[in-house]
Amino acid sequence: MSNTLSGYLKAIRSSLEAAFCVRNFASQVVERHNKPEVEARMSKELLLQPIVIAREKGEKCLIEGSINSVRISIAIKKSDEMEEVLVDRFSRFLAQRAEDFVILRRAPVKGYDVSFLITNFHSEEMKKDKLIDFIIHFMEEVNSEISALKLAVNSRARVVSGTFLRQFV
Amino acid sequence: MPLPVQLVSNPVLPVTCHAWNADFTQLAFSPNNNEVHIVKFDIKTGAFTKLFVLTEHTHTVTAIDWAPKANRIVSCAQDRNAYVWTYDGTKWNPTLVILRINRAATCVRWSPNEDKFATGSGSRLISVSYFEKENDWWVSKHIKKPIRSTILSLHWHPNNVLIAAGSSDFKIRVFSGWVKEVESKKPEATVWGTKMPFGELMAEFGTSELGGGWVHGVAFSPSGNKLAYVAHDSSIAVIDAENNKAISSIATKDLPYRCVAWLGETNLVAAGHDYAPISFTFNGSLVYGAKIDVPVKKEDKTATAMAKFRTMDTKGTTDSTAVGVEVDSTHQNAISEIRVLNGNTFSTVGNDGQLVIWP
Repeated sequence: MSNTLSGYLKAIRSSLEAAFCVRNFASQVVERHNKPEVEARMSKELLLQPIVIAREKGEKCLIEGSINSVRISIAIKKSDEMEEVLVDRFSRFLAQRAEDFVILRRAPVKGYDVSFLITNFHSEEMKKDKLIDFIIHFMEEVNSEISALKLAVNSRARVVSGTFLRQFV
Repeated sequence: MPLPVQLVSNPVLPVTCHAWNADFTQLAFSPNNNEVHIVKFDIKTGAFTKLFVLTEHTHTVTAIDWAPKANRIVSCAQDRNAYVWTYDGTKWNPTLVILRINRAATCVRWSPNEDKFATGSGSRLISVSYFEKENDWWVSKHIKKPIRSTILSLHWHPNNVLIAAGSSDFKIRVFSGWVKEVESKKPEATVWGTKMPFGELMAEFGTSELGGGWVHGVAFSPSGNKLAYVAHDSSIAVIDAENNKAISSIATKDLPYRCVAWLGETNLVAAGHDYAPISFTFNGSLVYGAKIDVPVKKEDKTATAMAKFRTMDTKGTTDSTAVGVEVDSTHQNAISEIRVLNGNTFSTVGNDGQLVIWP
């Protein structure tokens, strides 16, 4: 499984390195405002072509760029219903703490589980290479996190049911 | 050897724009906020002392230009204003410029004779401003057609009339900025055209047939016969007006450049998101030169047991690459502006708060 993961992450890394070339750009639609153009989407010429990098049907990454911001949305693989519930809980846990996370978007883009919004102000404060490293690391870890959670749920269910049924033995 | 100077520290902020005075002893720059800092600078050692902080703007200052002969500074910001600052011996005094724009100003340049200046803005127009003595302020004329998006960069032709403008609608245009109130006579014909009434579009070029990219930087060569530009599709190109306006362009493998400058008639230097300036030569066709940077040697952090446990405690990992945040180039973040000092010396400022002088 990991042989396709490294190719997938390498493709995402090089796309992110290109998409992260953002600059400060004041809004040309509203005076004295400075909005992330990828969210405002009011001028078509300022938006880059969005690209989707997919490892398989349920595991893909959407990168939307613009002149001053990038939006990265990740869909995590969910092989059964238990994983669907776990991924939903995990992404809601992260998204509710989006303010502390700085680069996380509070609501994921439709069709995806987690979305990051990185603006030129973030790239001025933080190193671009480290931000990309973080996102790649996040994608590597999220699959193992979900499997660990699933194992934990199954083992806890086994323990609870064993303890409960012991009273009838 | 490049001379790096950390202009902004505690906290480290990007330097958005900078301008030198006539003899390169003083530097004006903005640390990514609404202030213009003027410092006394020693080019040999890189030592600087703060002289003035000009705080008339209310939003981020986007561009500064210093007129060397007249000793005037023009600054423009995202608050739709521009100010012309004059020195009276003790301090700098602002004069408001009536730009008549209703969006942010993005770039500003004095004309070669310093009697007018051009400002690019997000209102999809260029404002050419000149001084009106009766009312003691600077008034503007607009160049609107056929600009369809924000102007990202500007440069004057040495004949004091033509302006090259790069815009986020993927086009480079050459306009006439001839203002009859300040010019004494009609301009002579150049390779760019003969008739030059105000606002006339002399030439328009796209960045590529496939669409192209936002034009981040434009520069006329010192003679004015060649025009170089850099765009977001990582391309750099030179338009040779003497050769029937032929475009010689290279699609580079680097990340997009943000600025370009000529060092003479055949040498160019461009810099941007790759953190290092690249040199090019143009002798009929554009040729990629080399990356001009001396990699900064990182100190070898020996993997002591103590260091390992400390990183495990603070960063949650023993991976040494996760700890280091230094990049091995002189600039630690994207370069935003290049200014040519004299001959082959130029200075760059970037998002890491550094000014680097490249001899």
